[in-house]
Amino acid sequence: MYDIAKMGTDVDQNTTKISARNVQVYYGDTHAIKDVNVEIGARSVTAFIGPSGCGKSTFLRCINRMNDTIDVCRVDGDILIDGEDIYDKRVDPVQLRAKVGMVFQKPNPFPKSIYDNIAYGPRIHGLAKNKADLDEIVEKSLRRGAIWNEVKDRLHAPGTGLSGGQQQRLCIARAIATEPEVLLMDEPCSALDPIATAQVEELIDELRNQFSVVIVTHSMQQAARVSQKTAFFHLGNLVEYGDTSQIFTNPQDERTESYITGRIG
Amino acid sequence: MTDVSQPNSAGTPQSSLHRLDARTKRRNAAESRFKFYGIVAILIGLLMLVTLLYTILSKGTGAFSQTFVTMQVELLESKLDKSGTRDLEKIKKVTTFGYAPLIKGAFEKSVLEHGIDTDLKTKDMAKILSKSAASQLRGYVIANPDKIGETIEFRFLANSRVDGYLKGRVSRESIANDKNITAAQLDFVDQLIAAGVLEKTFNIDFIIGADASDQRPEAAGIGVAMVGSLFMMLVVLALALPIGVAASIYLEEFAPKNWITDIIEVNISNLAAVPSIVFGILGLAVFINYMHLPQSAPLVGGLVLTLMTLPTIIISTRAALKAVPPSIRDAALGVGASKMQAVFHHVLPLAAPGILTGTIIGLAQALGETAPLLLIGMIGFIASNMPETIGEGLLSPNSAMPAQIYEWAKRADPAFYERAWGGIIILLIFLISMNTLAVILRRRFERRW
Amino acid sequence: MNDQHILSAFDRDLEGIQANVMKMGGLVEEAIGEAAMSMQNRDEELAAHVIKGDKAVDGLEDMINEQCANLIALRAPAAVDLRVVLSVMKIAGNLERIGDYAKNMAKRTSVLVHMERVEGAHSSLRRMAQEVQHMLTDVLDAFIQRDVERAKDVLERDHNVDQMYNALFREFLTFMMEDPRYITPCMHLHFMAKNTERMGDHVTAIAEQVIYLVTGSMPEEARPKATRLDA
Repeated sequence: MYDIAKMGTDVDQNTTKISARNVQVYYGDTHAIKDVNVEIGARSVTAFIGPSGCGKSTFLRCINRMNDTIDVCRVDGDILIDGEDIYDKRVDPVQLRAKVGMVFQKPNPFPKSIYDNIAYGPRIHGLAKNKADLDEIVEKSLRRGAIWNEVKDRLHAPGTGLSGGQQQRLCIARAIATEPEVLLMDEPCSALDPIATAQVEELIDELRNQFSVVIVTHSMQQAARVSQKTAFFHLGNLVEYGDTSQIFTNPQDERTESYITGRIG
Repeated sequence: MTDVSQPNSAGTPQSSLHRLDARTKRRNAAESRFKFYGIVAILIGLLMLVTLLYTILSKGTGAFSQTFVTMQVELLESKLDKSGTRDLEKIKKVTTFGYAPLIKGAFEKSVLEHGIDTDLKTKDMAKILSKSAASQLRGYVIANPDKIGETIEFRFLANSRVDGYLKGRVSRESIANDKNITAAQLDFVDQLIAAGVLEKTFNIDFIIGADASDQRPEAAGIGVAMVGSLFMMLVVLALALPIGVAASIYLEEFAPKNWITDIIEVNISNLAAVPSIVFGILGLAVFINYMHLPQSAPLVGGLVLTLMTLPTIIISTRAALKAVPPSIRDAALGVGASKMQAVFHHVLPLAAPGILTGTIIGLAQALGETAPLLLIGMIGFIASNMPETIGEGLLSPNSAMPAQIYEWAKRADPAFYERAWGGIIILLIFLISMNTLAVILRRRFERRW
Repeated sequence: MNDQHILSAFDRDLEGIQANVMKMGGLVEEAIGEAAMSMQNRDEELAAHVIKGDKAVDGLEDMINEQCANLIALRAPAAVDLRVVLSVMKIAGNLERIGDYAKNMAKRTSVLVHMERVEGAHSSLRRMAQEVQHMLTDVLDAFIQRDVERAKDVLERDHNVDQMYNALFREFLTFMMEDPRYITPCMHLHFMAKNTERMGDHVTAIAEQVIYLVTGSMPEEARPKATRLDA
């Protein structure tokens, strides 16, 4: 598994995919995210860690404007993807979400067949011209979701009949079926057992060759295992952002240190 | 806590698990008492249900059978069609009075044929038949004019007293002051029974037939009222389901959460609790007095019941929509579906069984509703004709099943009372089958996620 | 930063390991002192005691390694905890090497007592050993108090030890040139001096670990060059 050649692919993670500038998020009167500035690289995995309620999930959901569905939520500041402000009036959130896919905490396949789960996104975005196209997209997505071999014989069985880990990989496959550029993951392994977690992590590591992945996790070990960059959030502040190896061996901020060593902060 | 603070040498157990302490005993006793009360409550409920069912069945089954007198009737051409042209217009000119001699003749013949010994005059014999006997025969002749001149076997409805006598409702003691029937006539009835002329059989006319006037309970049926109910339900279904579902989807998925929607929400819940008679008077004021829709029409009844059913459908639909896990909406939005796509492609199909169940329960409620129909005139009306077209079904005066039951229960003759119970059995069968359908739908389409 | 882990057993494990390091450090310190004393006093009995005592040091090192392995496996330490574990393992290794050198010194002493005494050399060698012993005391204090300044001071002082070794080297050379009978004892003494100088190097390695433990990075420039062989 020690692949020296892989190190070479890290080169273009220096180009910025997402950049947040002075982002503030309010839930009614609560100031949930305070002045966050962060540059997230292309083709890399960035992990957001922090205690519960620190705002990491909220910030993640700002990146594809999932917070729009919450009435009391207000976002200030700029979030740019490839230099374009996604909170610009001209941006339609539906179009944005096709470009920025999302995987949720609990595996949430549609109560439909495995095939329809994957095909839904491409269908509504008109990515397939005919049935053969769609079949191809489904197979490709399932392969990239590292679940093809497990489900190829039962594509028309319900997606909810799979195991938890398979469901989550199905959801990842569904998210990448619309050819997004950014993949957001909100604690994707919190409902999975260690083996399923390892499979999903392996998948995330492979996905990094094509997407820019942002993952929120409660497991610091997971952040350490899958990410190249780690951001630590605390009470709505982005406390520290840097290379994962540095954050986990020698964090610069005392709050980060307290959190990752499991001390009372 | 005193037992806890007692000094305890290490290793020796403080208390034995084999011995119950006082508190545990009390607790267990309280629990068994509570279980006992629960069982008693359930038994009382069951007892009441059984009593209710028993009463309904014992009083209502009678309505499904009816006493008939089967006789040979000679359709004399001289009485019915003097011209002999079989011209229907001319045959129709012969009133029921013209048929009375035929019936008397039929009695004479039967008495002779079966060797019945009686002092009754033929006029009094004919009184054991229903007052509608002559019109029954007339109706048959008009439908089959070619039978004039022949002798046919005809089944006459017996008088309700005679019917009651066969069902045990009427006895020789109870008719002491009854002008409608005498003991001698009952003796004659006994003889007819022995001869096989008079017998009690299943009465399909009660289920499919029309209502009859006060004088002829034996001819009354619930069929027309059933059609009236059916048209009302069609109106309710056609209006309440789309309006209710659309309103719920908007409120639940799209409407902003602010004080206006809060007020609407509270008011919908309150509407569900408004007494149904209020909807009746609203219907009277708006649909009949203001909009001049026809009185007693199933269309108006349906509109009023729609108003009444809407809150039920909205509340159950919203509950069904709420029960769809938000993760499904997230999933749809996450792959770039618009809000409407998320709702119509994913949320609504999952909520459908719940919505259908709510709708069926609402319909069942509406089906059994009587009070609002009182006010729009669907009661007190004798629904005697089957509607022939859908438009007529909606607009011509009609009754509904519960209104018909109320109407019968109101009338003096005990024979109508029996029919009221019979009507209740039919209504209950409808309600039970609708509820069963609701349960089956829910079972069948319920999905796990 | 709060010093206590939410999981108190984690604290107990970390403290247990560090206590063992301090115990090992104490034993090694004592071994240096006793080895130097037995050398100067030609005390064969004391030397035997030092040789025997090294077993306890080796035992402690094994124990610390095992504890560290357990801690890594069970607690998954990160950041400062991870650095504590990593540095403790290295420090234990260094202490073990120092202990071996002290043992070697005692062994040579038990040979030297049967030879001609080389006047004057013993006391300078003992001073050198004492200097190393003090450095070790200081570096262990610096470790337990997370004192970077003190650790840096120890780094500087290694230079003195090197100079003392260089001086002794010249002294032994002179002795051997003057009288060939001194060659064997002087060779032994030279090895003892060299070992003492190596002990100093290990002490500086410990000081570097202390600095890494506290700051998260190794001291920037390499410590002053150990031995100049051109002397």
